[in-house]
Amino acid sequence: MTGLPSPAESASLADVLERVLDKGLVIAGDIRVNLLDIELLTIKIRLLVASVDKAREMGIDWWEHDPTLSVGQRDLAEENQALRSRVAELESASHENGQQPKSSPQESRRSQ
Amino acid sequence: MIDTATYLYAITRPVPPNALDGLRGVADAPVRTIDDGELACLVSTVDLAEFGEGALRANLEDLGWLERTARQHDAVVRAGMRLTTTLPLRLATICSDDASARDRLHRLDRVTLDTLAALDGREEWGLKLFAPADGAAAPEVLATALSGAAYLRRRRADLEQRDHAAERAIEDADAMFRRLAGHAVDARRHRPQDQRLTGAAQPMVLNAAFLVERERVDEFRDAVDEVGRERGEGAVVLTGPWPPYSFAAVDAS
Repeated sequence: MTGLPSPAESASLADVLERVLDKGLVIAGDIRVNLLDIELLTIKIRLLVASVDKAREMGIDWWEHDPTLSVGQRDLAEENQALRSRVAELESASHENGQQPKSSPQESRRSQ
Repeated sequence: MIDTATYLYAITRPVPPNALDGLRGVADAPVRTIDDGELACLVSTVDLAEFGEGALRANLEDLGWLERTARQHDAVVRAGMRLTTTLPLRLATICSDDASARDRLHRLDRVTLDTLAALDGREEWGLKLFAPADGAAAPEVLATALSGAAYLRRRRADLEQRDHAAERAIEDADAMFRRLAGHAVDARRHRPQDQRLTGAAQPMVLNAAFLVERERVDEFRDAVDEVGRERGEGAVVLTGPWPPYSFAAVDAS
């Protein structure tokens, strides 16, 4: 026994679940439930163990530093980017035609 | 007795009689030991109405039940750890009765016994490293008016910068893992936890477990403190001592 206080109460649920569900020795008992078959657990575990390389696939993109970007807003951002590309094409085309590039303030503003 | 089963928490070296008196586990059931002389198993008698296959499948879907049960399971394993070398079992390891549990104990393979021996006098410490708060501020600068072509160049540069930031974070985590592993007898990496779960301001870049010799825990903690001073407040989170969950199974990697 050590004199250190037990961290049992302060351990986060994520830390505890990560260990008791995913680590620990597996001995086949008589009552068998595949923990990974559980729908809720599957979701939970995915949340727990999102790896850096999987994060992008899952649309987490944490390095974007934009936690508020929801899926709907993401679509908007993509659409916005596609529009910008089109604008850029038109701009360079009008350059070649010797015309003044037109640019409205709207085009250069970052998506909301 | 057909409506009960034996819930197993951990394999341990034999524990003194009465050492677990008063301890309660899952479903608040009293904890006792099944002992074969060389090894012991911490167990409780549980009701099949709650821990039978169908009930268990439903209960595991209930986050409240899952949290309560996971913490109770963990508390028993910790109690074992305070008494002797303890090999934690995965949540919901259930045998039909004590005889069946005893049979499992007899049939433990060589690898498991070696694993238990490797845990003598050692404890698990968890370490999480979070990304630094600076960097990646670039995208906000885009409020300035840019032409479409300039915007695209800028956008490309931002994406590259983010890729580099992610690469640097991975390299940094690798280096930190190796550095601290130097103070431990074994080390494992878990996948970093999602930011939505940690609730931290910064993403987790390293989620590791270290098996540390009890006599070297102070040295290990000093090494972690040093990292903490280098990285600043909140960048490093140390948890432990944990029962050796992360070292209970043979490393598949």
